[in-house]
Amino acid sequence: MSRIGVFVCWCGSNIAGTVDVEKVREEAAKIPGVVSALDYKYMCSDPGQNSLRNIIKEKNLTGIVLAACSPHMHENTFRKAAAKEGLNPYFVEIANIREQVSWVHEDKERATAKAVDLMKMMVEKVKRDRPIEDVRVPLNKKALVIGGGIAGIQAALDIANGGVEVILVEKEPSIGGRMIQLDETFPTLDCSSCIMTPKMVEANQHPNIKLYTYSEVEDISGYIGNFKVKIKKKARSVVEKDCTGCGECWNACPMHKNVKSEFNVNLSERTAIYVPFPQAVPLVPVLDRSVCLHFKKGGKCQKCYDACGPKCINFDLQDEIIEETVGAIVASTGYDLMDTSMYGEYGYGKYKDVISGLQFERLLSASGPTEGVIKRPSDGKTPQTIVFVQCVGSRDPEKGVPYCSKVCCMYTAKHAKLFAHKVHGSQSYVFYIDIRSTSKGYEEFVRGTMEQDGAIYLRGRVSKIYEDEGKLIVKGADTLSGNQVEIAADMVVLATGVIPKKGSDKLAQMLGISYDKYGFFTESHPKLRPAESSTAGIFLAGMAQGPRDIPESVVSGSAAASKILGLFSKNEYEVEGTIANVNEATCVACFYCQRVCAYNAISKKEIKDRSGKLIKVVANVNPGLCTGCGACVNACFSKSIDVKGFMDDQIYAEIKALAV
Amino acid sequence: MANTKTDEKLQKIAKDLLESGEVSLVIGYAKGSNLQRMRPVFITKAEDAGKLSFSPHAVQDLAVFLKKPEVKKFGKIGIVVKGCDEKAVNALIQEYQISRDNIKIIGMECNGVIRQNIADKGETNVSESAVYDKCLICEEHIPVLYDFLIESEEPKLVLSGNVKPYSGIEKLESMSAEEKNAFWAKEFDKCIKCYACRQACPLCYCSRCIVEKNMPQWIDTNSEETGNAQWNLIRAYHLSGRCIGCGECERACPVNIPLMLINEKMAKDVYNLFGYKSGLDINAKPVFGVFSESDFNDFIK
Repeated sequence: MSRIGVFVCWCGSNIAGTVDVEKVREEAAKIPGVVSALDYKYMCSDPGQNSLRNIIKEKNLTGIVLAACSPHMHENTFRKAAAKEGLNPYFVEIANIREQVSWVHEDKERATAKAVDLMKMMVEKVKRDRPIEDVRVPLNKKALVIGGGIAGIQAALDIANGGVEVILVEKEPSIGGRMIQLDETFPTLDCSSCIMTPKMVEANQHPNIKLYTYSEVEDISGYIGNFKVKIKKKARSVVEKDCTGCGECWNACPMHKNVKSEFNVNLSERTAIYVPFPQAVPLVPVLDRSVCLHFKKGGKCQKCYDACGPKCINFDLQDEIIEETVGAIVASTGYDLMDTSMYGEYGYGKYKDVISGLQFERLLSASGPTEGVIKRPSDGKTPQTIVFVQCVGSRDPEKGVPYCSKVCCMYTAKHAKLFAHKVHGSQSYVFYIDIRSTSKGYEEFVRGTMEQDGAIYLRGRVSKIYEDEGKLIVKGADTLSGNQVEIAADMVVLATGVIPKKGSDKLAQMLGISYDKYGFFTESHPKLRPAESSTAGIFLAGMAQGPRDIPESVVSGSAAASKILGLFSKNEYEVEGTIANVNEATCVACFYCQRVCAYNAISKKEIKDRSGKLIKVVANVNPGLCTGCGACVNACFSKSIDVKGFMDDQIYAEIKALAV
Repeated sequence: MANTKTDEKLQKIAKDLLESGEVSLVIGYAKGSNLQRMRPVFITKAEDAGKLSFSPHAVQDLAVFLKKPEVKKFGKIGIVVKGCDEKAVNALIQEYQISRDNIKIIGMECNGVIRQNIADKGETNVSESAVYDKCLICEEHIPVLYDFLIESEEPKLVLSGNVKPYSGIEKLESMSAEEKNAFWAKEFDKCIKCYACRQACPLCYCSRCIVEKNMPQWIDTNSEETGNAQWNLIRAYHLSGRCIGCGECERACPVNIPLMLINEKMAKDVYNLFGYKSGLDINAKPVFGVFSESDFNDFIK
């Protein structure tokens, strides 16, 4: 016989203001099987939980119903309280009379009637609860970090320093990501490569980090604690362990000056065999087979091979597939810039001296194409007037994206400042919509650019840029003075919007994590679980989640790492026991459940007799992957799958409870 | 009646298959109790292959037998199918109920089968007014998949367009919700819950049907308004996007509920919404088991 306790929570006036909690309690007491009914101001408080525990003991309860807030809030609290009194924690059911009743209704009488109904349903459900044990999944204590920018490197280093092995996979020939392309960083103006390269070197030399550059994650299967990863190590054509990084090969390459340098954002050229930049980690060149004469012209050219001292160039190297098993993953794939050429009126791609912010970074950089001297791409002259245009693509739902790219206000201020420092007597103009400079030292930095470095800030958009007698004529509006402005500039720098790295949606699908409509990975909870993805064991870091600056990227990398170290501090991971369960006797193996399972949690299982003869094939649920979503339950024609804790007879009883 | 050329070809194929051991059972048609009736036959010995026959009276969908455990235990099976029935074989392969490797499909080109009630009056010629509605809309006179194909000796079915197949669907679509309810309430009222529709359906293969699930008993088993509606709706729903339109349920129904109106309406809606027709491709993903971002979601308000 059931001995159910019903606890009605007031939640102060949150519930009691709209729901007659005493009436709910009175109705509960009338239900057969309910041996105790109580209402209390705050059930989640210590006294509330204590009274719950006392009544479990006193009345020897077999089940508990809390008419209270959403189970998202305190289900765990009450489950733990019940478990302390020796009750299986899954014998606790929540009737949500706050989010589903008091907060959404005004009429007290009708709200109370609904609250009573919800409570009754849960009483009938709890009567049919069976004990559920949580599932324990063993953990492979090894982590995979996808993307070797600052966020990924930080995550890898923190995990590795915690004593856990890390595999760091980077698509490009070198780690470093976007940050290593930058010149000086706001608001302190420390040189990006000076602070970045030590981290890159540390990652490369760390005994716990295995680095795969020029490599891509090809396939991922499995679940938290047990992800099977296939990494494609693209054929580099250079044997890494023998290469000394001396540079003889790229100096010998006849494809000099023919290929645009990706690293310098097309502002310089590279050879077919190349390192993207001098501080590359690892300092081992990559042979770009799409442009190499050896591959294009039938194997005749081998000048790099001839020049190579240790003879580590091997044209026959093939792509390699490396398989690893890891327990947790960090997705930190970073960002790209929007293609600004769709803003025809700005002339990007048409006029050589209209460049993107990232290109300007390369012009500023001492290791850039101009060795840090600001020169116009068209004629190499040093510009005296530069117009900076902010929000190119960002905050523009019509042509670009509605969101703010967050870093542009700050880097534009930095650009204007560095321009003033490098070209004395020069003048910069900044077109902006709003200035967003909210972190520590940021506002002072922007003020400095205006007040000490003389940048003229104009609030408004640029309508057109065209070339006239070697000048770029920038037409725009100054909305503060209400005037149309026309500036003859030597160069224009567009603060282009940030978008997720190309292919990140494909990766998200492979990982089984959710992403927003732009392609940024979404957090499990935007505020309270910002480092977690929607899938257990997969964590997020850096710009792959959305626009953010370097300190935020570093923080997010560390956050992901600390989550993984926390996870790995135990030997097993506990998964909630409310997962799908197959009735093998009635399953007819049509496998619609497998087709609709978004988590690949269902496989085929053969049932054999003692002699090993196959009796039948049935569906089988992998507890590590199953989230208990219930899609399979809907798909099963013969009703042979249930989710534990939401069994068919429980749902039926809930509905029946409404009918009487 | 003597063997036709079709019969001889059919018998030869079955004999060879059984003799070579490629199959241990051939499911086909034999001549029935009178000239206008064919009956299913199960041939396990090569010397019995002479019993096989085919004619426009071969109305049954023999694929229904493939779901039976007593048939499955034969392992490798040969089956005689018309284009419509063959789609059921495909759907069963798609749903892992049989393996393509275990089945030899003897496909019959078919220009239509004659309605039994008309055949019983002596009709032996295939014509627009004599065949089932499914034959009038048939696009698979030659089965889409077969190991052997036997071409038809019958004249092609000529369609004047005067006979409108499944004309009831249009009528139903023009009705209000209340009228539709009233129409089906009247039809389902006849249901005696004999489940002949289920037994005749090649795709109703669950070893325990949902209607047999008790604790809880979701569907009332008694034969009255609620239970009848529950059964007939869940049957239709379980077949939406799966029904291949063989019409065996309707043919089996002893109280003449127009089940094909539901089935065809569902098939039509599924095709319009998802561009999917059941049973045409053994490698296709059944529409019930597929979801994609491009699925319509107008119903989410």
